[in-house]
Amino acid sequence: MENMVNKVARIPNLVDWSTGEVRLMSAKCNSCGTYFFPREHYQHRPGCSREGVEDVLLAQKGKLASYTIQYYPCPAPFKTEKKITPYGIGLVEFEDEKIQITGIITDTDLKSLKIGMEMETTILDMYTNEEKQQVVTWAFKAIK
Amino acid sequence: MRDVYIIGTGIHPWMGFSEQVFADFAAVAVNDALKDANLEWQKIEAIMAGIFIYGGNAGHLSGQYLESIFGETGIPVVNVYNACATGSASIRMAYNSIAAGETDTALAFGADVSPKGFLTAKSDNAVQDRDVIRWKMGGLPNPIYWALECRKRMEKYGTTEEDLALVKVLMSEYGSKNPHARFKKQYSIEEVLNSVYVCDPLRLFEICPVSTGAAALIVTADEELISKADNPVKINATTMGSAMYGDPTIRISALSCPSVPEAPMLSESYSASRQAYEKSGIGPEDIDVLELPDNSSWHYLVYLETCGFCKDGEADKMLRDGETKIGAKLAVNPSGGFSSHGEALSAQAIWQVIECTNQLRGRCGERQVEGAKVAMAQTYGLMGNSGTTIMTI
Ligand SMILES: [Zn+2]
Repeated sequence: MENMVNKVARIPNLVDWSTGEVRLMSAKCNSCGTYFFPREHYQHRPGCSREGVEDVLLAQKGKLASYTIQYYPCPAPFKTEKKITPYGIGLVEFEDEKIQITGIITDTDLKSLKIGMEMETTILDMYTNEEKQQVVTWAFKAIK
Repeated sequence: MRDVYIIGTGIHPWMGFSEQVFADFAAVAVNDALKDANLEWQKIEAIMAGIFIYGGNAGHLSGQYLESIFGETGIPVVNVYNACATGSASIRMAYNSIAAGETDTALAFGADVSPKGFLTAKSDNAVQDRDVIRWKMGGLPNPIYWALECRKRMEKYGTTEEDLALVKVLMSEYGSKNPHARFKKQYSIEEVLNSVYVCDPLRLFEICPVSTGAAALIVTADEELISKADNPVKINATTMGSAMYGDPTIRISALSCPSVPEAPMLSESYSASRQAYEKSGIGPEDIDVLELPDNSSWHYLVYLETCGFCKDGEADKMLRDGETKIGAKLAVNPSGGFSSHGEALSAQAIWQVIECTNQLRGRCGERQVEGAKVAMAQTYGLMGNSGTTIMTI
């Protein structure tokens, strides 16, 4: 893994790399079994007691459930230093957690995208902030 | 509950960005609705206003600003927001107020001025407004959500790029005959297929832009007003739905969705339409005219299924076989749809009901559905907002 020391997520509590692997920060309800992302976006099963919600990290790998290629730059407040358009967006399924999550596709030949292919969670460098830190977002890439 | 009738409608034609004040567009629509109903302003007993989300304080209190133009009379004014189903909420509140006997005659309206350029985040606070995350980190403008679902549909049901293009061909044919439409050019299937991808598989001509527009509706249970009106249209049901747990749709603004479905897709619209069928005793088989929310070609197809006009996966065949055209048993979007208008958020649900009303009143000229007796307007708003209105003459 590349040096992650001087990197910071643009918004906190979404992506974690403290374990040495890049993983998405989810929460699981131990009463109804539902996983949430972002973790504060509670979507309990009706009638759930809502007790025992704990922060968890999602699996590092998942499968591509759908994708698109965006041909126009995303408007502000989206911001990257380098031009990334056209960029892929994937909907990646984490089977055990029964959740699909959107993310920019990076470091992958967009022509090779296929529903069902294996993807892993990674980060995408967006820009350098005033503290000279690399600001990043979560992303997905094909497993080579 | 009393029977409620639409006696007056007004539309400010749809257009692009404008520097004109939103309330002035609303006033044009309201003035036309009053004239159509042959009604004095002082007879309006309640105003149910769709708010203009990009209009700041004035936009959020659009009902008060509209009332002041015509003259303040002290009546209840309620301002409501339900994303693109905002107009459905205002119609439903007007209907309920009258049906319950609280008021006899009410106004529902919405007016929206297109933002310059793209729709984007409405705040900078990712803690309070989770929508900020998809803009700052997700790179997710609205059409991407539709493209992700469209790709799933193509994989599951074999929907083709030609099917997606055919929707636009049909919508542009009808839009060219609609004086209220913003886009009046007719397109061939080749022209649509040659338009650039915005987010594949969706092309530029297969998604709708944002527009400026206003629409107003006067509803009443006053027997004298109904008897004097030109072809009053009865509202058999006007309902709203929210999403259901386990809906597999990736909703605009969200970053995740369940991978194991436990509810129908677009469950908010499934819910709103089923409530309307139950309340009215009218089902999809009885409907002559359907205005559905074709934000993209994918929506046109999936909404036929969500609302029960065919089984899942059969909408493409309905389209290809001409079963959704004017002249077939069911005419879908004879207005030209959002494809020919664009979205004017708080106004569009009311505009859809007005198109249905005009069809039932036989006022649609070249795009008239002959002998239309039963019509349904269906809306769709982000994060689980939907409304259905069923009308008869
Ligand atoms: Zn729960």
